[in-house]
Amino acid sequence: MNGYILMTIIYFITRQVGETMNTKTLMYILKRILLAIVTIWVVITVTFFVMHAVPGGPFTSEKAVTESVEAAMEAKYGLDKPLHVQYLTYLKDIVTKFDFGPSLKQRGRTVNQIIADGMKTSVKIGVIAAFIALIFGVVFGAIAALRRNKFVDRIIMIITTAFVSMPSFIMGSFLLIIFANHLKILPANGAAKNGLILPIITLSLYPMAYITRLTRSSMLEVLGQDYIRTAKAKGVSGMKIIFGHALKNSLIPVITYFGPMLAYIVTGSIVVEQVFAVSGIGRSFVNSITGRDYPLVMGTTIVLATLIVIMNLVGDILYKIVDPRITLE
Amino acid sequence: MKKKLLSVLLASSMLLSLVACGKDADTSAEKERQSTQKDATESTGNAANEEGKNSGVINVCLASEPASLDPALNSSVDGATLITHLFSGLAKWGLNAQGKVELQPDCATELTEGKSNPDGTVTYTYTLKDGLTWSDGKPVTASDFVFAWNRAAGPALAADYGYMFDVVAGYDEMVAEGASPDLKLNAEAKDDKTIEVTLKNDVPYWNELLAFPAYMPVREDVVANEGWATEPSTYVCNGAYTMGSWDHNSVITLTKREDFIDAADITMNEINFYLSDDTNNMLANFENGSWEFIDDVPTNEIPNLKDQYPSEFVCEGQLGTYYICWNNNQSLLPKSSTLSGAEKVKAENEIRNAIALLIDRNYIVNDVAKGGQVPASSFVAMGLTDEDGSQFYENAGPDKNITGYFDVTEDAYEDNWTKAVNTLKKYYTYDEASGKFTDIPTFTYLYNTNEGHKAIAEAVQAELAGVGINFNLENQEWATFLETRKAGDFSVARNGWLGDYNDPISFLDLWTTASGNNDAQLGKGANAETAAYSIDLSDLGYDTKIENGTWAETYDVVVKDIKVCTDPKTRYALMHRAEDLLMSTGCICPIYFYTDLYMIDDTVSGFFSSPLGFKYFMYCKVNK
Repeated sequence: MNGYILMTIIYFITRQVGETMNTKTLMYILKRILLAIVTIWVVITVTFFVMHAVPGGPFTSEKAVTESVEAAMEAKYGLDKPLHVQYLTYLKDIVTKFDFGPSLKQRGRTVNQIIADGMKTSVKIGVIAAFIALIFGVVFGAIAALRRNKFVDRIIMIITTAFVSMPSFIMGSFLLIIFANHLKILPANGAAKNGLILPIITLSLYPMAYITRLTRSSMLEVLGQDYIRTAKAKGVSGMKIIFGHALKNSLIPVITYFGPMLAYIVTGSIVVEQVFAVSGIGRSFVNSITGRDYPLVMGTTIVLATLIVIMNLVGDILYKIVDPRITLE
Repeated sequence: MKKKLLSVLLASSMLLSLVACGKDADTSAEKERQSTQKDATESTGNAANEEGKNSGVINVCLASEPASLDPALNSSVDGATLITHLFSGLAKWGLNAQGKVELQPDCATELTEGKSNPDGTVTYTYTLKDGLTWSDGKPVTASDFVFAWNRAAGPALAADYGYMFDVVAGYDEMVAEGASPDLKLNAEAKDDKTIEVTLKNDVPYWNELLAFPAYMPVREDVVANEGWATEPSTYVCNGAYTMGSWDHNSVITLTKREDFIDAADITMNEINFYLSDDTNNMLANFENGSWEFIDDVPTNEIPNLKDQYPSEFVCEGQLGTYYICWNNNQSLLPKSSTLSGAEKVKAENEIRNAIALLIDRNYIVNDVAKGGQVPASSFVAMGLTDEDGSQFYENAGPDKNITGYFDVTEDAYEDNWTKAVNTLKKYYTYDEASGKFTDIPTFTYLYNTNEGHKAIAEAVQAELAGVGINFNLENQEWATFLETRKAGDFSVARNGWLGDYNDPISFLDLWTTASGNNDAQLGKGANAETAAYSIDLSDLGYDTKIENGTWAETYDVVVKDIKVCTDPKTRYALMHRAEDLLMSTGCICPIYFYTDLYMIDDTVSGFFSSPLGFKYFMYCKVNK
């Protein structure tokens, strides 16, 4: 079922892409993909060397382990080899085998397993939060624009200003106190039944508020355009103007926000997962750094960086597709 | 970062704390424990509970995902709690008829006395109970124990707690550099039911070790799969519970084993261990009734929680000391000073000891840390027992009328202050008008990034500034901090130590010259060859009498003597001497003895925690 939906989406995108595509844009896209690969390689390299340059190691603990134990562990994981050898081995393993190596802290588990486990939850939260943000953001934004300077508009603007300026750890704690501690209608822990509802809401509020404001201003701009006036003059119904002409065009800035929104959701989930004790990749990311679990630091960084790079790329290409006026250089 | 495995405790929490009471029955630690136990029973044993209603399910949260649930590899207290529910060793901690926590035989029919051999070694023989099975139905045999011990101790596994086997004969040879991998501990399975193990010499805490996770049996075919301890399907154990499910970073569910030999005594059918280390999240879940037990609380909420939950907020002793550690190689004297060599070191010892007197520990405990900690003036923590069963720390120090090396009662603070100022006047210029010293160098106080440590650092900074001693505060992230401190790249640093078993040697052998935990750099670096220490053991029947020796010639010698001494009275006397010498350096400035804070719902009865800080939920009932 999911496969079918995906196929359909790909079909429509390729068709659309095909229509707008010319050699120049194709070259542009290729260039961007190449650039994305270089970006990820730079991220890998910088992270790798900075990580090893930071003091402290995976086997450092308050109770010092004996030198022979530490040496044995380092040999076991290849940490005794020169840094450039470790680096090349690492690159080779991810490129040829897509193998991020074993976790140094959670002995017996591989980074691939840990990431796969974490992604299950994180993707679920992230995707749902993104959808909620999009749908409600666009709806509220459109309402606010159409009721400009009326009471509804004012309320929406006040609330969205509050949401945009409140960091997610405060928002999370706030929702947790109200819904989990006072009303007791939702659990405070991600592992419980319905435990993901609060984290999803927390994560979606900021992008939703942002999209609301974005939609509102771009809708206002579009509503003032000549072609809307023409349509009105031609006697097109109000509904048709809004949905057929205005909304479609006012969504262009929203699409450009796609990449930054994803970046926000990825980084925001690091905080939100901590607040609600959700077993996502964000928590693994933070813990791997404090624990100097080198392969897990690398693995999570690469996955998160790749995600952001790809989403930005997709956002830019979509931008071109929905707005043919844009020329990609 | 974990509980005690991130958070204050988080930082220090990665440590394993074992306390406890030796084989001799009536130690005062046990008495104390008995009283906490009684309080706990009173607080949780309300009338409704006595009707014996029990939901059979308990939801608890100790810390975040355990690094390993392999008994040999675990090094955290929360992991140890899980393992004690999943595995049975030769011995276990349990409640006796009087509700007192004590060591009891578990897989062994009895905890036997050792037989001394002519060469000084001691051999113990244990017989396994009948009907012991693994969770997959196979019988538990003596060779499973022997295999597990060799595995846990061996260099191939490189386990943090491999050294817990250093009392067993054969261990030193096994872990020596370049040792053959065929070397084994002196432990043997005589038949399927009989285990014979030989110790280098008799140690008072041997039975305690038998109840320690590293001593739990594992089966060779099970652990051949390196990832065996990460998934329920491959996790084969021999204890009261089996691992029902493990949703990584989320929750571990333990399910009661009906075929467990003592299944009739186990009242809890299911235990859900939620994996979180966010103390605010833990508290939210406790307050809304989702969880019945949480092992940590937000530091800034402690005063409120004490008022709000008088019966549910519990503060128990823990075998650890929070202290400020000086780098022995840090110069303290003013530039004008002409002292050098041993004289300089002796002067610095005196200065450090004087500075220790300037700190108001009661203020730190009552107004800063606020967790029921006990002001400390010695290094070996409260809860460790002396030879006669009394508290080791109460007998420490030269003056028998005061506890520890100096008086930390509230009334003594003013005198301490005057005494300290007078001592410091010998070395520094004192400006009577401002009441401050004018030529004490400025030091950098290093701590790991944490609100609790910061608050204590600030309190100390403010107190010392009052006499003109200036501390700059610097914080580092945990792993960086450990590395810096270990390497001796600091002047003054916060430090803490939790004992591994109830024997003062677990605190004292940190400070031998070669110890990896010798953060104070005693006997290392610039002062390695300085002959500034004296020790006289002649009254205890030893030849050692050294006037002005190096650290290695004095402290290391006493610790070595302690390790091979078999007469308990002499041994404890030696340990007091070692602590005397250690404290004379002033490098260790004790602040307080740690406490273990947790919250337990009023509906829970039958809970206890071992002196080691492991929590026991198997005999609990939840009246819900």
